[in-house]
This record gives sequence, structure tokens and C-alpha cells, in this order.
Amino acid sequence: MDAVAVDRMQFAFTIMFHYLFPITTMGLAPFVAWYTWRASRSAEESLTKAAAFWTNIFTVNFAIGVGSGIPMEFQFGTNWAAFSAKAGGVVGQPLAMEGVYAFFLESVFLGVLFYARRARPGGLAVAGAVAVWLGSWLSGFFIVATDAWMQHPVGYAIATGGNIEMASLSAVLLSPFAWWQFLHVICGALVAGGFIVAGIGAYYVLSSREERLGPDFVRAGVVIATIFSLLAIFPTGDRNSANVTEYQPVKLAAMEGLFESKNGAPLAIIGMPDVAHRKLIDPVVVPDVLSFLAYGNFRAGVHGLTSYATALWPPVELTYYAYHVMVGLGTIFAAAGAVASLLLFRRRLFKTRIVLWCLMLLMPFPYIANEAGWMTTEVGRQPWIVYGLMRTAEAASPNVAAGETIFTLIGFLGMYFLLGVLFLYLTLREIGKGPSEVHA
Amino acid sequence: MSVVAFVVLAFMLTAYVMLDGYDLGVATVTPLVARDEDERRTCMRAIGPFWNGNEVWLVAAGGALFALFPLAYASAFSGFYLPLMMVLWLLMGRGIAIELREHFPSTLWHQFWDALFALSSVLLILLFGVALGNLIRGVPLDTHQYFNGTLGFLLNPYALLCGLFAVAALALHGTVFLMLRTEGPVAARSSAVARPLAIAATALFVGVTVATAVMRGSPGVPVYILAGLSFVALGALMRSVWRGAATEAFALSSVWIALMMAVAAGTIFPYLVPAYPSGSGGISIFTAAPSVTALASALTATIVGLVAVCIYSAYVWRKLAGKVR
Repeated sequence: MDAVAVDRMQFAFTIMFHYLFPITTMGLAPFVAWYTWRASRSAEESLTKAAAFWTNIFTVNFAIGVGSGIPMEFQFGTNWAAFSAKAGGVVGQPLAMEGVYAFFLESVFLGVLFYARRARPGGLAVAGAVAVWLGSWLSGFFIVATDAWMQHPVGYAIATGGNIEMASLSAVLLSPFAWWQFLHVICGALVAGGFIVAGIGAYYVLSSREERLGPDFVRAGVVIATIFSLLAIFPTGDRNSANVTEYQPVKLAAMEGLFESKNGAPLAIIGMPDVAHRKLIDPVVVPDVLSFLAYGNFRAGVHGLTSYATALWPPVELTYYAYHVMVGLGTIFAAAGAVASLLLFRRRLFKTRIVLWCLMLLMPFPYIANEAGWMTTEVGRQPWIVYGLMRTAEAASPNVAAGETIFTLIGFLGMYFLLGVLFLYLTLREIGKGPSEVHA
Repeated sequence: MSVVAFVVLAFMLTAYVMLDGYDLGVATVTPLVARDEDERRTCMRAIGPFWNGNEVWLVAAGGALFALFPLAYASAFSGFYLPLMMVLWLLMGRGIAIELREHFPSTLWHQFWDALFALSSVLLILLFGVALGNLIRGVPLDTHQYFNGTLGFLLNPYALLCGLFAVAALALHGTVFLMLRTEGPVAARSSAVARPLAIAATALFVGVTVATAVMRGSPGVPVYILAGLSFVALGALMRSVWRGAATEAFALSSVWIALMMAVAAGTIFPYLVPAYPSGSGGISIFTAAPSVTALASALTATIVGLVAVCIYSAYVWRKLAGKVR
């Protein structure tokens, strides 16, 4: 078996499992801070319970996120040594900064928050919650900055031995590519956080439990989910597309399933790519809209896949479907959020059971959308590991055999399966018990 | 500049061994000092608020190695492929055991996680000791500065001796931490267990020191001074263990560990990944570092961040210090 293929499988599996947890921690951190702050300012016991409830759920997610996150950092060295040796001078730095600036902050203050949660939160607990929030978002920023550099390298120099070195840290950290990607990631996480809080609240309202906190969760969750599902589309999603259009036109063509270059390119709403015959099967398209979205002009020319050598194509089907799943779900989130917000504003949401049902059932879907978005970004970057500078095929460790990686991949599969089952069981149990019986 | 980077990296790893070392040590001795459910929970609560932050020192040191010396990171991490993957699995096992233990009120559930907690921690210390032993001994680098560290090569007598010594030393470190953080029967048993552990650690320390001197030859005057000081620190540590002075013992145990890490760093300097057999070169801090400007940028970012980490960690430790019940 090809070692690079196995290394990619292991990275893809471990990162996709890992990312489920940062989505939750980045998305829930503001809610933890919100309920901790409110509890600190009110004598109402239910708010203290709400703060403890979300802190508990956050902590389990954080623990598994940390446990599954360390393998990500290590894999750069273990499985991708050639990449690390060549590009480590650049990518090592934001990763090191994640540890030093963000991860410490989050871990040290989570200890404070978690061990202070038994009593009514005081100033230290609120400071801890805010520090944890800041840490989780900063952590996300450094990781996204690393990825954005691999997508669109800036601020680097090529040293005499051929290694890529850091020329300007500020160029790497302030790259517009990184910032729009980061803001989009934060929107994605907050959509997930919002729908989790709203969904759990809806579950309590529908089953006539937690009469004080259920509606409170629904309100807080719906507001955040609505605002950020709109911001995920515009401006952050739009700006990301613009960056892809400008710097990675092949990826754009694969995302949209556009094989032939065209003036006034159509936007494919649905359709199945047939790569061998260079066409979409059963397409439903809106004429000229892709040109407009990409260039702000309905007649603008958009390059199709066939204007590039096939060696430069990313895996077309995967990129196309991942992108369409993300966009489709994103549209549903914005619509559901808007309906729920409108009903909330008219004070009819808690009588409209069908919408509460939708909120509850929507809970898993932001995870799918977030993962699909990252698949679009990363699969669409292929065949490059650093866009235009280094190919994925040259990046793996020369001294690690495919068989070794298959062994560890099997290990990760088994371990993460068990961990996933345990996590779901414990979290669902915690949600089932509810904040009024919160374990502190 | 490369020397400063080496010192920063050694500092971060030392902080990791000193801090997460007591977490791992506590887990190792919990079966000896805790007799029932409540006492085991007390041991876990002693490290509860700290272990996660302590573990970050390892993650941050890995990141710093990546940024400061990419070639050494690439070679060492891919060369130690399987042992590192085992470290990852064990770190996960340890962390999950602490976090999930309290989520289900069942004796069997608690026993399972307690056993996993102790077992994964002992194996982690052993692996770290073996890894450090192999770094001091050197690894078989090829012409491209890569190696494939098979377990057959890595599990040599010297490295295993280092591994055993690490278990004894960190178990002692964890025991004096429990003397400091607990009261009642757990503290009393910790004081009693600390004495034989101190004797075992001393015997193994002498063994490791002699074996290292024989294998590596003369390391130079500064390393001799540091090694001498570490024996002085160990002597003082034993004295305070026998007197039952917990705070003093924990401080001395930390100093002892720091001095030993300094000796280890001094022994391999200026190499990050020395070649085997010893004396045949290796990946040094001069060959592995990027250009001066890149190194300066990475170093500045790391040092500024670490200063902030030290300040707020110290604040949090003060806030959460004291005995657990």
C-alpha cells in the first residue's frame, strides 16, 4: 500500500474525529461565560446550575479535544517528517504559539472554572470562563493561520538548502486569507454552539421539564445561531470564496463542478459529477450566478477544470460534495434560525411545537456542515500540501513504512470508536438528567 | 542564538517533567497510599485542577521544537514513531480516566478508571525514561539524518535502566506532592512510602550516573558540577523526607529533577539528536536551526508567551493551593 495514502487516511480520520470537539468548545465557550456571568450576578440558584451544567459538558468535550488534539501536532513530525523538515520554519511557529499563547490559557483556567463550579460563581470563576473562551478562540486562530499559510503561503523565504523559512511572522498571522477563514470557522462553531444550546432547550420545553431554564436556553441559542448562520454566509463565506477564486481557481472549479470554462458560468445547485465524461449528471443550475458570485459580474469568465492539467486537479467528487453539503446545510440553518427568531420575537415560539422539534433535530447537522467545510478546504488543496510550493506526495516521512502507519491507524480507529461511544453515552446521560440534577 | 533556543527548549521540557511529573507520580503511588474509594478520589483531586495545564508543557515543547529546530523535530518524531504513538494513546488514557471517572456512580466504573489511570501513568513515565535514555545513548541516524527506532533497538539495558529510574524518581516526586496536598491517612501513608522510594531512587540514580559516565565519557566540568549538585539536592530531599517536612521535600524534589534534566541536557549538548554510537556526531543545534531571522522571530514569540504563562500559572497555583479533602 502507498505510504502517503495511509498517512493521509490517518490524518483525515484523526483530524475529523478531533475537530468534533473544538467545534463544541469554541461554540459553547461564550455560553459558559454567559451563564457563569449571570449566575455571579444573581441569587437565583437555577443560573448557578445552568453554569455548572454547561461547564460540565464543556469540560468533557475539552478533555477529549485535548486528548485527540495532541496526535495532530505530533503527526506533523511522525508521519509528515519531510514536510516538517522543509516547511517547519514557518508552520512550526503558529503551532508553537498555539501551545504557548492559547492552550495554556485554556487549560490553566479551565482548572479554575471546573473546581470553582460547586458554589455560586464569583469573580474568579467569571474571569476563568472568559479566559477559557479567549483561549479556545485563540487556539482556533493559530491553527487556522497555520492552515491558511498552507493554502496561500505568504511571508516566507526559500533558504539555500531549499527549505521554506519564516520571513515575516506578521505577514503570516495577518494574512487576509487567514482572517476570513478564521472568522468563518468561528461562525461555524457558534452556529453549532447555538443549535446545541437551543436544541437541548427545545428538548426540555417539548418534554415539559426544566421550566425555568429550557426557554432560557432556547432564546440564547436561537439568537446566536441565527446571527452567526447569516454571518457564515455573508460576509465570511463570501470572502472565503473570493480568496479561493483569486488564489485557488482549480479548487473553485472542483467545488462548483465546473468542467468547461465559460463566460456567464452557471451555479450548480444539485447534480452529480461524472469526472470521466467531464460533466454533471442531472444538474439543476442557475445560469450566470457563479460568474456573479465569483467576480460580481454575470458575464465574467470562470475557468473550468479542463483549463488545467489533470495532475493539478483535486479529487473532484469529494470536493464538490463536501462543498455542496456545507452550503446546503448552511442555507437550512439560516432559514431555520430566521423562522425561530421571528417566532421568538412574536412570543409564539414556545407554542409552535413543530419548530421546537426542528431545533432539536437540527443539533447534529452543524457538525456535518463544519466537517464538510474543512473537507472542501483541505481536499480541495490537493495535490499540494503547501499550495504551489510542495506536493503532498513528497511530504511523508521517508523512514516510516505504510505498515507501521496502518498499525497505528487501526489503533486510533479502535480507541476513537470506544471514546466516541463513551462520550455520547455520558453526554446524553448528562443532558437527560438536566441542569436541575446537575452533578457538581 | 541557537544556544538560547536550546536552553528555552530544555527549560520547557524540564517544566513538563517537574509539573506533569508529579501528576504521573501521584497516579503511580495511588494504589500504595490509598486504600478505599474516597482516598483514591482524594489523590485524583490533589492533581485535579493542575494536570491539564501541566500536560500543555509537553505540547508546547513539541511545538517549540517544531518551530525552533524543524530538522530535529522531523527526524526525532518520525524516528520514534511507534513509541510516540504509544505516548499519545497513554496520554489520552490518563486524561480520559481523570475526566470520566466522576461521571458515573458505580464502584466498578471507578475501579476501571483508577486502574487505567495508574497503569497508563506508570507506562508513560517508563516510556519517557526510555526515550530520554535513548537520546543520551544516541540513535542510528542515516545519511539523510533519519532513523527508524524499532523497539528492538530502543529497549536496550541502558534505556530500560533510565526508564526504571524515571519511575522511581517521579513516584517519589508524586509522593511528596501528596504529602503536601493531602491530610489524614493518605498523607501519613505517603510519608511512609516516600522513604523506601527515596532509597530506591538513590540506588537507581547512582546506577544511571555510572552507566552514563561509562558510556558517554567525560562530559566536561559544568556537567560534573551539575551532577554533584543533583546529589546534594537528593541528600537534602532525603533529609526532609525523613523529617516529614512536606513543603521543603516537594521544593527539593523539584530542584533535584531540574538539576537532573540540566545534566541530561548538558550531556547531549550541542546535539539535539546525537548519533549512535556516541561520539559520531548527530543533529546539532547548529544544523537543525533555521536562519537567524527565522529563529529570532520564533524565539521571541516563545519567550514572551512563556513569561506570561509563568505569571498566570503562579497566580492560579496560589489561588488553588492548600490541602484537598
